[in-house]
Amino acid sequence: MLRKADNSAVAFVIGALVLFFIGGILTTVVPPLVDASWSKPFENSDPTKGPTGKLKPYTELELQGRAIYVREGCWYCHTQQTRTILADTKRSGWRGVDSPVSTPDEFVYDNPHMFGTKRTGPDLSRVGGKYDEQWHVTHFRNPADLVPGSIMPPFPWIAADPAESKALVAYLQTLGRAKDWRPDGDFEK
Amino acid sequence: MAERTTLADAGEIPVTSTAKYTESVHEDATARAFILSSIGYFFIVGIVALLVAAKFLWPSFLGTIPMLTYGRLRPLHVNGMLFGWLLAADMGLMYYVVPRLCGVKLWSEKFGLATAALWNVIILGAVVSLLMGWNQGFEYGELPFVLDVAVVVAWIMFGTNMFMTVATRKYQQMYVTLWYMMGTVLWTAFVYLTGNFAALLVTGVNQANLNWMYVHNAVGLIFTPIGLAIAYYFIPKTANTPLHSHKLSMVGFWSLAFVYVWTGAHHMLHGPISQWLQTIAIVFSVMLLIPVWAAVYNFFATMRGQWHQMRDNVPIKFLISGVVFYLLTCFQGPMHSLRSVNAIVSKTDWIPGHAHMAVLGAFSFFAIAGCYYVVPRMFKRELYSDALANWSFWLFLIGGLGFFVTLWLGGFWQGWQWNNPSIPFIDTVVNLQPVWLVRFFSGVLMFGGIAAFAYNILATAIGAGGEKATDGAAVAA
Ligand code: HEC
Repeated sequence: MLRKADNSAVAFVIGALVLFFIGGILTTVVPPLVDASWSKPFENSDPTKGPTGKLKPYTELELQGRAIYVREGCWYCHTQQTRTILADTKRSGWRGVDSPVSTPDEFVYDNPHMFGTKRTGPDLSRVGGKYDEQWHVTHFRNPADLVPGSIMPPFPWIAADPAESKALVAYLQTLGRAKDWRPDGDFEK
Repeated sequence: MAERTTLADAGEIPVTSTAKYTESVHEDATARAFILSSIGYFFIVGIVALLVAAKFLWPSFLGTIPMLTYGRLRPLHVNGMLFGWLLAADMGLMYYVVPRLCGVKLWSEKFGLATAALWNVIILGAVVSLLMGWNQGFEYGELPFVLDVAVVVAWIMFGTNMFMTVATRKYQQMYVTLWYMMGTVLWTAFVYLTGNFAALLVTGVNQANLNWMYVHNAVGLIFTPIGLAIAYYFIPKTANTPLHSHKLSMVGFWSLAFVYVWTGAHHMLHGPISQWLQTIAIVFSVMLLIPVWAAVYNFFATMRGQWHQMRDNVPIKFLISGVVFYLLTCFQGPMHSLRSVNAIVSKTDWIPGHAHMAVLGAFSFFAIAGCYYVVPRMFKRELYSDALANWSFWLFLIGGLGFFVTLWLGGFWQGWQWNNPSIPFIDTVVNLQPVWLVRFFSGVLMFGGIAAFAYNILATAIGAGGEKATDGAAVAA
């Protein structure tokens, strides 16, 4: 019996697909059905439950900036997730306040997602509000001018194009700001 | 006839490869087209690899030209190596191996050549779009939608040719290489559709989950099974000895089929994705040790009594070092999925060290060994230079080891620094400079290996060494 199945291409195809689909379906189709926070945008008005705030859809300008972020491959060097690791919350923190951990409901409007896998540069999940536009544009022109030793590549063609740099900065300023967590506001105040 | 009985009874490949068998029946036109073009991309994309490595040391090098910025060259390097070189070489080897294991000609050489042509169009399209920045924003899924569709078409063409050849086979027993090949064709289809089509329909974490299912299984259910298909064929073949155990190879196969697909979420450990899914991914990642050890044990047991061949048989050198790298990389994988280890190495330079050991150290080594074995047979002449082949091996091995070892040590140290938030981030960048310097020079050595390999194969193909022996016995030695 086993020997016969061993020699049959049809039995093979069925076996290989059935085994594959068990794990495939349980890990891709089922999780979003079980876990509502994957598709429900973040919203909280009760400070006892953690940071308050509301996730808003991207504006047209922010989406343009996001497209530049995708095009230039910023996401090969920067992640966008504050993980459940103490050092992560400290590193993306602000003036002694730890940043909140990233949750699935903060990313509902992200398409393509930009979580990233490699941190050649720092995590950007809470960078919104950290620097002003002037800083970012100077940084794009030549990062090492602002941060000696930086190996972030220069992006002079973005810095030289006001429309592009405005859009990209607008996008960067949204990052991590669904949750209102900075102690006394940010550069804007 | 004797060799066929061995095949049918014990599930072994015919050990006495005779010229008659290798030379007369098969045209190999498709295999030639795939293999030669893939080696061309190996060389070209090798240059891109060096540019990418150089940018870690000199970030503004070529930095004012948008097309040559890091964020565009990196995906070109990854896609070029994965799809232009490795997958194409693997497919080419399958076009060579499968008809021989089935005892029939390839179902259709014309259809095969059309597939090769389409594949080359896809790769050239990929080069243009990635340099232009037409990037979809998914790792391994960067290619624009049109090219994704073309990949699916090409894959169906490849699969049809393979399955039709198997369906018309003369030998009833299917050697394990055929199993892995067929598994690859089937799984790849679904894995690719998930990562490049289904992922477009959703957003956020849901999308990331599909993306990681694809990324992980691009390695686990495409490059692993097709790489093992190659190793299972060429290790016994080049060592001229039967496979240790057919049964054990089946254990490896079915456990791989079941276990791999569950593990995608281990790319987001500690990240914004459900804890229970992370735990499932960890448990199954550890279970991956089963298929890996089954295959590796089988390979080593096959080599029993044949180790002396490591001295001067270049394909064996590549194959066995590939098996060792496979064992190591697949030990690392499950270890990184443990939460405590992951907290240190995740997102660091350790990860490229790990990834390169899998697709370069293991699977590319298998493919290179296969090319060294089949190209002389397809062109019916001896390899242009054995000495050069040996050089290519040592360049790859030393360059590869330099690359892997420095990135692990460096990556581990980097993760250690990150976990101490009192060290400013930029200091952790500056501290890694020596690591990246060694990585670059290891890359130069590996590129030397690529150049030696490509030159040797090209010279063999065009007959630069003159028509030495075409005598079957000599070729099959
Ligand atoms: C080769 C890797 C690399 C690429 C590509 C890259 N960066 Fe960076 N980035 C870095 C490094 C390293 C740093 C840390 C040093 C510095 O601040 O310049 C950094 C820092 C930053 C910071 C400051 C973060 C902070 O918290 O201080 C921002 C913002 C940033 N990058 C945005 C971008 C954007 C936008 C892009 C794409 C246009 C990009 N980066 C592409 C490596 C990279």
